[in-house]
Amino acid sequence: MKWSNVKLIFLREVRDQLRDRRTLFMIAVLPVVLYPLLGMSMFQVAQFVREQPTKVLVVGRWRLPNSPELFENGRFSARWFGDQAASELLAVEFVSERDLAPDEERDADRWRSAIDLGRCDAVLYVPPDFGERLEELRIAVRDIRPEDSEAARDIQVPAPQVFYSTATEKSQLAMRRVGQAVSRWSEEVGRENLALGHLPQNSAEPFKVSEHDTATTGHRDAALWSKVLPFMLLIWALTGAFYPAIDLCAGEKERGTLETLLSSPAERIEIVWGKLLTVMLFSTATAVLNLVSLGATGAIVLRQLPRLGPPPALAPLWLLIALVPVAALFSALCLAIAAFARSTKEGQYYLMPLVLVTLPLVMIPMAPGGELTLGNSLIPVTGIVLLLRAMLEGNYAQALLYGPPVGLVTLGCCLLAIRWAVDQFNSEGVLFRESERFDLRLWLRQLLHDRESTPTVAGAVFCGVLILMLRFFMGFALPQPDTFFDLARVTLVSQLAVVATPALLMTIMLSRSPTKTLLLCPPVAGSLMAALVSLPAAVLLAAAVYPTLSWLGVIVQQLYPLSPQLKELLTRIFHERPELWKTLLIMAVVPAVCEELAFRGFILSGLRRMGHKWRAIIVSSLFFAVTHLIFQQSILTFLVGIVIGYVAVQSGSLLPCVLYHITHNSITILMSNVQSATLREHPVLRLLVRELPDEGGLVCTWSAVAVGGIVAIAILLWFRRLPSAMSPEEALQEAIAQHAEHAPTYP
Amino acid sequence: MIHAHNLSKEYSDLRRGKLVALASVNFSAEAGEIFGLLGPNGAGKTTALRIISTVLRPTGGTVTVNGYDVVTQPSEVRHQIGFVSANTGVYDRMTAWEEVEYFGRLYGIVQPRLRARMEYLFDRLQMNDIRDLLGAKMSTGMKQKVSIARALVHDPPVLIFDEATSGLDVLVARALLQTVAELRQYGKCIVFSTHIMREAEKLCDHIAIVHRGHILTSGRLDELREVHGEQDLEELFFRLISEHDAAHRRPVLI
Repeated sequence: MKWSNVKLIFLREVRDQLRDRRTLFMIAVLPVVLYPLLGMSMFQVAQFVREQPTKVLVVGRWRLPNSPELFENGRFSARWFGDQAASELLAVEFVSERDLAPDEERDADRWRSAIDLGRCDAVLYVPPDFGERLEELRIAVRDIRPEDSEAARDIQVPAPQVFYSTATEKSQLAMRRVGQAVSRWSEEVGRENLALGHLPQNSAEPFKVSEHDTATTGHRDAALWSKVLPFMLLIWALTGAFYPAIDLCAGEKERGTLETLLSSPAERIEIVWGKLLTVMLFSTATAVLNLVSLGATGAIVLRQLPRLGPPPALAPLWLLIALVPVAALFSALCLAIAAFARSTKEGQYYLMPLVLVTLPLVMIPMAPGGELTLGNSLIPVTGIVLLLRAMLEGNYAQALLYGPPVGLVTLGCCLLAIRWAVDQFNSEGVLFRESERFDLRLWLRQLLHDRESTPTVAGAVFCGVLILMLRFFMGFALPQPDTFFDLARVTLVSQLAVVATPALLMTIMLSRSPTKTLLLCPPVAGSLMAALVSLPAAVLLAAAVYPTLSWLGVIVQQLYPLSPQLKELLTRIFHERPELWKTLLIMAVVPAVCEELAFRGFILSGLRRMGHKWRAIIVSSLFFAVTHLIFQQSILTFLVGIVIGYVAVQSGSLLPCVLYHITHNSITILMSNVQSATLREHPVLRLLVRELPDEGGLVCTWSAVAVGGIVAIAILLWFRRLPSAMSPEEALQEAIAQHAEHAPTYP
Repeated sequence: MIHAHNLSKEYSDLRRGKLVALASVNFSAEAGEIFGLLGPNGAGKTTALRIISTVLRPTGGTVTVNGYDVVTQPSEVRHQIGFVSANTGVYDRMTAWEEVEYFGRLYGIVQPRLRARMEYLFDRLQMNDIRDLLGAKMSTGMKQKVSIARALVHDPPVLIFDEATSGLDVLVARALLQTVAELRQYGKCIVFSTHIMREAEKLCDHIAIVHRGHILTSGRLDELREVHGEQDLEELFFRLISEHDAAHRRPVLI
């Protein structure tokens, strides 16, 4: 890759974008205008809400005591609000006694309809006997003696009622105002009663809990800003990447300039990097300008909110540091998606799902449990938000601890997204996709007619997605296993019907050579000795890799513990078992055969037509992992999938893969069968496995891990030396790579 | 200069399945001559030219440009060619000068050589009056001039013109054909695809008639006339196409 070309493309794209009014509006004008406008609107709305007059209908004023007075001059007394202006905002209409039918006064429907019809915003209803009962209470407080009966002391005052509607803001505002006035008036009545009874004023409420906030003002502000700023940063970085990416890819296709660029000496990877850096720049600029504008507007708004101070002084620095990987990730994703679109309009449709996927990842840290742990730090986007939050809150030790995993995950995601974008630019189907009317009948006819010896990449991906969906829906259709026998039945059905059958049917329908597709041939073509050795080598490899996997399993368990419900279910299921051979048959042999046919057979064969064997192995392993549905299990399954995928590619046969898979599953079952007593009785076994001190269960010893690791590397090196057959696409890619090494340089 | 051997290209189409755009075609074009690809729309001309310019990859056969293979040495091939097509546009937000300069720099030409070359091209193609005009404000003819200047900026030995006169008025088309004819004099190998018989007749040294992914005939114009006993190229074109369609009653998808 020539960086001079990348720089040239980058500078051209930047200049092009800066001459585009839409982009300039998005990155420069909108942020500058948006927040001041929002701030002004907020003030005006708040002002409007504060000053909005409301009206209350008062029923039963004649039942109120004369002192203290709730109403004065036809309004609520100003003393219950604190100032005259607030009292004037609550207009009062009194319902006179003669307008009230005796049987109607308790009719809530009448007050509801008065509010619904807009006659008033709330109704204050004073029940009959309210004044009398209140007076009785006053007298009782004044005259009660110790020898008086309990009945004389127990005087119940009927509660006034406020009718309002939560369906309208105005009614809720009226309710708050009435509630405030009546509540303060009630407190005053209470104080007068205490005075009448010659009791101290604090008799009813002898003490109040004294609250002490240990957070300093700075900490409190940091906690709030640490929630707001990362959210804003991510959303604007995504939005800022969105429009330039569409313009640079789909826009170029529309304008017909992409083909010219593709026929220029610039390599596809140089074009992608040039465009990626441009999108990154605009993503960063959009986020920065928005944060600056938000900060400036906030500074003015904050003067009105004395309880909230400015963000931490180092916040701009942390935000800028976090912005680089965030912008890189979003830019690469947007670029890859936009490259697929034929037009800018289509690009907007495709990028919307990206927003929908990203939003929950940004929102996870906002949830109460969203803390920076090792597990959370491994979740893309979420990890960055949590890390940024820790930095803003000043938890530097925590941030330093989890910074490396967050950085690694983000870097990995960035590289994958960039790789995807480059692939999109290398794909003729993507670059020259034309509008097609889909005809299912013709398409199916052609699909069957034009099939080749191995399935296409699209066929392989479709098979993977189909298996995943079938497994997902089967989880709902079949009853949840409660015993081992239930689990065995579900396993058999799902393996045969959901995993093996689609793969076999698709092999017959979409490929000309089932033998080649499913690798149903002896291993290592052309060498009988290597073929014979490969089978025990696969078994030994599974056994050698297992100790390392057992420790990885422990780490995964610590990072992402199984839920207590799932743990209990697994314990219950594996409590009672049939004979070992039956368990091995159902849980080891059947899944090994079915899954290998699907994942290392049909799917891997199809994916190898991408032209990159490692990419095919990784993608097939991802499908293999995800179909296991339990997240914790999927992580280890992914690693196992990569090892078996490599064995499949190098040996060219499914047989070593099935043997590896059977061995791996069998060891897992045997390990779960070993009891503590067995371990104590067999010292040799103790050389291989030991009990976990806290969690229970078994794990391989470190010596087993070390020996197994050395043996595994030796076997993998032996597989590497096998003369593996390349797919035509892989051979082509290798030829291109070889020529690229010896390519002449041009001035 | 350009040698295509058993060149094939198949597409997959969601509606029609697999399409044969080129079915094992063979042709050669040499320096100092104009090789015309003559065929109706959808004959496979653009596909062949896109393969030569490394934008598409063939599904079978080989193509070499000045000794470089288009599949395994695409970068070298791109340095050998200049590509002009009616389908390609110019950047809306770049001036003519900026655009040609951009491609010149992508080809690795350094200043002051690039400036001298651009001055020469802008004079030669009479583009000085549109030097600072943005692409969005250019007429079709102006855009085509920019496309030619862009393709010539690195002085490539091979030039590809794909339906280059399509959409141009008579005057601009005539000027373009004159430019192509002059480029031949400089020893360039030119591949010129068109569906206009008169253009091919006037301009091309070698003609290949392409239809439904097959080359029906190829040779010098006088050779074609002699071999097929037909003086009028248009009549020859219709006759060959009719014969081909009659021979392949089952329509070939293209």
